[in-house]
Amino acid sequence: MTMQAIGKPHSRVDGRAKVTGGARYAAEFNQPDQLYAVVVGSTVGLGRILRIDAGAVAQMPGVRAVISHLNAPRLAYQPHKGGTDPANGERLHVLQDDQVRFYGQPVAVIVADSLDHAERAAAALAVSYAGETPVVDPLDAKVQPVAPQAGRAGADRSRGDADAAFAAAPVTVEASFDMARENHTPMEPHATIAAWSGDRLTLWSKSQFVVNEQAEIAAIFGMPAANVQVICPFVGGGFGTSLRTWPHVTLAAIAARQVGRPVKLVLTRRQMFHTTGHRPRTLQRVALGATTDGRLTSLIHEGSGETSRYEQFVEALTSTSGFMYSCPNVRTRYRLLPMDTGTPTFMRGPGEASGMYAVESAIDELSYKLGIDPVELRRRNEPAIDEAEKLPFSSRSLMQCYALGAERFGWASRDPRPRAMRDGRLLIGWGVASASYPCFFSPASARVRLLADGSAEVEAASSDMGPGTYTSMTQVAAETLSLPLDKVRFSLGRSDFPATPSHGGSQTMSSVGSAVRAACLAVQAELAKRAVADRRSQLFGASIDSVEWREGRLSRKGDAAAGPSYSELVTGAGGSPVEAGASAARDAAIAKQYSMHAFGAVFVEVSVDPDLGLVRLRRAVGAYGAGRIVNPKLATSQCIGGMVGGLGMALMERTALDPRDGRPVNAHMGDYLVPVNLDVPHLEAHFVEEQDPHVNPLGVKGLGEVALVGMAPAIANAVFHATGKRVRELPIRIENLLDV
Amino acid sequence: MIAPTPITLTVNGETVAAQVEPRIHLTDFLRENLGLTGTHIGCEHGVCGACTVRLDGEIVRGCLVLAVQADGKSVETIEGLSDSGALDELQAAFRDRNALQCGYCTPAMLLTAHELLARNPTPDRATIREHLSGNYCRCTGYQAIIDAVEIAARARAGAKS
Amino acid sequence: MKAAAFNYARAASVDEAVQMLVRGGGGAKLLAGGQSLLPALNLRLMSLDLLVDITGIAALRGIRVEGGTLKIGAMTRHADLLTSPEIAAHAPLLAKAIAHVAHPAIRNRGTIGGNLAHADPASELPACMLALGATLVIQGPSGQRRVQAADFFLGLYQTALAPDEILIAIELPALASGERAFFHEYARRMGDYAIVGLAAQGKPAGDRIDALRLVYFGVGERAGSCPAAARILQQRHSPAILAEAQAALAADLQPQNDHQASAAMRLHLARTLLARCVNELLGRAEASA
Repeated sequence: MTMQAIGKPHSRVDGRAKVTGGARYAAEFNQPDQLYAVVVGSTVGLGRILRIDAGAVAQMPGVRAVISHLNAPRLAYQPHKGGTDPANGERLHVLQDDQVRFYGQPVAVIVADSLDHAERAAAALAVSYAGETPVVDPLDAKVQPVAPQAGRAGADRSRGDADAAFAAAPVTVEASFDMARENHTPMEPHATIAAWSGDRLTLWSKSQFVVNEQAEIAAIFGMPAANVQVICPFVGGGFGTSLRTWPHVTLAAIAARQVGRPVKLVLTRRQMFHTTGHRPRTLQRVALGATTDGRLTSLIHEGSGETSRYEQFVEALTSTSGFMYSCPNVRTRYRLLPMDTGTPTFMRGPGEASGMYAVESAIDELSYKLGIDPVELRRRNEPAIDEAEKLPFSSRSLMQCYALGAERFGWASRDPRPRAMRDGRLLIGWGVASASYPCFFSPASARVRLLADGSAEVEAASSDMGPGTYTSMTQVAAETLSLPLDKVRFSLGRSDFPATPSHGGSQTMSSVGSAVRAACLAVQAELAKRAVADRRSQLFGASIDSVEWREGRLSRKGDAAAGPSYSELVTGAGGSPVEAGASAARDAAIAKQYSMHAFGAVFVEVSVDPDLGLVRLRRAVGAYGAGRIVNPKLATSQCIGGMVGGLGMALMERTALDPRDGRPVNAHMGDYLVPVNLDVPHLEAHFVEEQDPHVNPLGVKGLGEVALVGMAPAIANAVFHATGKRVRELPIRIENLLDV
Repeated sequence: MIAPTPITLTVNGETVAAQVEPRIHLTDFLRENLGLTGTHIGCEHGVCGACTVRLDGEIVRGCLVLAVQADGKSVETIEGLSDSGALDELQAAFRDRNALQCGYCTPAMLLTAHELLARNPTPDRATIREHLSGNYCRCTGYQAIIDAVEIAARARAGAKS
Repeated sequence: MKAAAFNYARAASVDEAVQMLVRGGGGAKLLAGGQSLLPALNLRLMSLDLLVDITGIAALRGIRVEGGTLKIGAMTRHADLLTSPEIAAHAPLLAKAIAHVAHPAIRNRGTIGGNLAHADPASELPACMLALGATLVIQGPSGQRRVQAADFFLGLYQTALAPDEILIAIELPALASGERAFFHEYARRMGDYAIVGLAAQGKPAGDRIDALRLVYFGVGERAGSCPAAARILQQRHSPAILAEAQAALAADLQPQNDHQASAAMRLHLARTLLARCVNELLGRAEASA
């Protein structure tokens, strides 16, 4: 088979729709006779609803329904735990009782004949509360840390005696880190349009996980999943906020059922800061012990992250600490801090980005104590195997990443002394950090139809929030079928398509890609089966083992003559499309044999104005070992976007809460700072050659998360190199660098 | 009760007459009344730039212009500018350089870049960054966008020479 | 989020606009470029009964020079100021400042009059008016009056304008021979509202600066002139004089604590800006602050 599609820098297949305004996002599927819903959120951060004066509002112009816990239907809320829902605790049951658990929790939904009328009524609705002061600060003495009950990184881990080794170590570093809450802040607000037809519900809804939204809503309403259809062909940025099904989706469905008409519900930007998840604020402590020649003897990583009172949101805060470095004595501990807040959720690089910020900062600190270059220090502690799992890595190119990144960055010319590098008045700092993220591969399925014209239609539920699922899956199908790209049409974003896992955790390429490949092979097998059984076929009577696919034609093995094409085979079989579906999943045995992760090394240069404390990123180079790169053009873009996400984490992004009521005080795009064009300098992303036959049939490792991980600690380390001041909280602000 | 106000304007070259409530901003009018959904809504207070359209030939934030203020004026959106071919080089360069991912900011980014190139056919990268800095993108990291605008500028210059 | 309902009227003349304001009582407000007003309405930080659109009044637009005075119509847009040769020649401070006002799409709509009447303490333009000694021309039911910039900005979003008055023009003395302008601001993120900014103009004379006007923005509830610091800087430059002027800023400015920045940090940044301003006006190599 010639390699024609995978590995080539094809332009995205959805490009035309997106540059002409033709791509339709959730809020753009207006339905006939549609009404409008507006969510009313709690204005207290904890307490009980005493009274809702719905009567006056119900009389306002255009108002069709005022729905609160007083009159909302009692919903089934059958058990449902999707792949992105916390394993422990129970999701918020919206409008089912009078309890207020966090600021902005939906307490009512207004339905009216226009958005204007709905907004007016929502603004006029008088709700009185018995309010209490919520606990929203992790440093509050009232916060009681709890051990997570389960989860990917739930368990405390220990090998050797890390505390004794730390006490005995000749060189030590011990530091605490505080990382701010972040909100995903995608460009597109959450939106759902709900329409009932009898007992069937259609949702045009912003989602990175349409099959889970289908299952979740079915469970909430106590109806068969087959009666719920979720449609979402385009996602205007997600970064994790559209993985779970948040209360507004349920509210849209409740509202539409109550009024018997389609209902559109779009969250305001402010509401996006209340009930659509966030990266939890984390508090961490890292203690490192080393020999004087820089061998780690102890690594202790303790961390805690905020969660809600009603669910345990667990992320992999400490998991990389077990395998990033060779070290005989390692102890990790992870706790949750239940507070009066909505449940956090996964945000790009969840867990790893926060946890590696702390550890990679501490490693940098150790390098200065030892007087060893931080890249060299990492080389000296590079493990041969995953020492936590005692498994070989399926592949690990971290040192190659460092070599490539250092060369492209020019790391060798760095003056190691803090405050030694200057550009005029500006202090210049160079910093570096490692990145890692697991290679997930979750069960996925896909379906392929070959048409009489020789083209293929490929379908999988999946999602494309921007990285290029449409394009990469088209490439996989084209490659597997030996078809040109324009003969493949890939569709996604429908819950009635073959099921796929969440479009998160950097697993879409591995999971859906493997399923698409499997489905393509399945449809070829189906065609071959028909051909050898078809009396009119030139291959009639051949054994199935004696034929093979070459360049999209079915030929006899050893026979140089080209056999029939897809078009000829489909036409020969009657002309109806020939369809096959298939699933793909990781071989459980392989999973027990290898430790599978993507790795990266990030190099950055910052400038710091010593009088002002202003930090600017000047350049950055990321080098990644992420297996096979399906599309270098899209992959490079994905990495640079991830690096800029890390820039936001390092220097800007912070959701601040009012301690009196838990209100996010900067809940709009003017005050929640994300990087703008002028903040971003020249960035480079490079990939090392890496072949990994174990991770999945395509040999891909995923990129979206690992590209963000590592950026924030590299910047923090560069700030230290520039200033000699170690800032141990994110984002790094002017206040941290000025002694005023 | 507020009475709707009659307005007549040109949208992508076609005359449109409508009754609108004064509170309705231009972006909502385009999206909800005219179905021109290529103009997007991100923040609704003039920060993110996703709602950028052209009003009498100049880019504006659609969320910070009332529909009634567009009375008698000419509005151009991504749909009209695409059909007219005005954005051809930019659109081609955006696709070629992968200067878009989720696509939500893209129409506005194209209109903003288009205005820059009309004023300054050969901007340097710093100028491009400055001009586009009021348009957020959460996906691409901006770099490919700068590349694409540079390439489109060269393509336009080449087409003219 | 979207604005609450209001009525809308287009005024064809200043007289008509004044009449509409009078009839509207306190519930009527002028709509100029709308780049500050509409965000406030969209975020429902304010509501009103009637918006009087004055952007169509041609007489309120334009820039001209008469004698030694630059006359700017209140509805002149930021984009027009930015490209005006008259502004560049006669009010370089304003030209420098306008480049910092938001982004191109905003500058295509925003007007100088709207900006000044809004009196945002973080805005660049009120500070420029104080530094340039602007006269603001106001029209109301009883005719026109002229107010010095120093008497116009009263506090947080508060001006000397009565609810039925309209700011119609701004008059600036043209840059005198030997005068130089300094403008700089610091923001956490490029292009954002400043957490501290400084607009200054003065006449360097050897190593002294005469007729210096220093006006900070983003520091307190309104743009803040610093007469004490400016007086000190009329003495021959020395590190001690600069330090004395920097110390005087504390009394001049009285910075505030808010969720954007602490008072101490603002004062520190203001002092740093002062050193840069003095160095630039005196044409000295930038020394450390």
